[in-house]
Amino acid sequence: MTLWLFPGQPLTPEPAVPDDDDFYAINELCRERCGFDLSHHLPLSGHNLSNHTCLQIYGVAMSLYRARRLRGTGITPDLIAEHSLGIYAALAAAGCLEEGAVLELVCGIGSAMATAFTGRQYALGCPIGLPVGPVESAARNNGVFVANYNTSRHFLLAGETSGIEAALGECLAAGAFSASHFPCEAPLHTPLLAELSTELTAIVAGYRFREPLVPLLEHINQTRLTSAAIPAFLVDELLQPVWWEKSWKVLRAKGFSRCSEVGSGQALTKFNRWIDSESTD
Amino acid sequence: MSEELIPHIKQMIIDALRIEGMSADEIDSDAPLFGEGLGLDSIDALQLVVAMEKEFGVVVPDAATGTKVFASVRAMSAYIAEHRK
Repeated sequence: MTLWLFPGQPLTPEPAVPDDDDFYAINELCRERCGFDLSHHLPLSGHNLSNHTCLQIYGVAMSLYRARRLRGTGITPDLIAEHSLGIYAALAAAGCLEEGAVLELVCGIGSAMATAFTGRQYALGCPIGLPVGPVESAARNNGVFVANYNTSRHFLLAGETSGIEAALGECLAAGAFSASHFPCEAPLHTPLLAELSTELTAIVAGYRFREPLVPLLEHINQTRLTSAAIPAFLVDELLQPVWWEKSWKVLRAKGFSRCSEVGSGQALTKFNRWIDSESTD
Repeated sequence: MSEELIPHIKQMIIDALRIEGMSADEIDSDAPLFGEGLGLDSIDALQLVVAMEKEFGVVVPDAATGTKVFASVRAMSAYIAEHRK
């Protein structure tokens, strides 16, 4: 069985862009549907896209590109899983939505979030090395949220910048190996996104999702998505944390002979390596 | 003493990080492990910390120490030789 994993948003674009027809085709879709030039990582003239929206489009586009390349070598998935932003390219890979529509959708959602939270300072925090208890405690004490449960020792916090900085300080004092933070435009995967849920629901309602042709496992409850469940999931997943460790354990229990991370970077592969190393200790 | 550890450390890196298609001999003892060189990141760093503790009984307490220890394989070997019990 072949498993495809679609990763979340990359922190930065890759230093070089591919030079082949699949990349050009995806770039053309980015230009037509989003007003975004994938080759130069810039909005086209007249298109007002924030940096983070560009990065979100980039992440989805590179996943679409890598999926095309895999299919080109004859590799197709028997099961698909996703982490956060990875849901969009996963929907295309499962046949629920066309590639162009997926890019347009992520552009619409990204732009809505960037606009809605303008003027407020949010950040993502990444404490590494602490178990879940002290991380959840630091988040609670400082009014921020655990947005990603990636492994037993890798988490992502989201919330107001001042709260993230204070929570990371607490994590370091509690013995975290490292702690870093990055600005973001919206408090992704937290209940703070609820104020935007009506608008997000309206954006998603503009698309008709087909039934997945390949089983698609979602990252909240590790269930198979159906076409009827997709619209609500796309909004709900922005308000809830990503449970990657649970997802990977479910996937591993299903068994597979080949696993590919389909996107920019190797974050999921590294998380999975950590989770696997704990289960073999 | 620390020179003798180098082949062992290189194999530990390959095993801990599941680096495929590379032998221990291909890792440059003096190349940076993070950024350029092997291109490791903070997720890899924690994996190496755990592997070092398990393999050599040596603790890297925080990222600041890790930055120095993981500067190269040779730096790792010097740290292990100094802190090994």
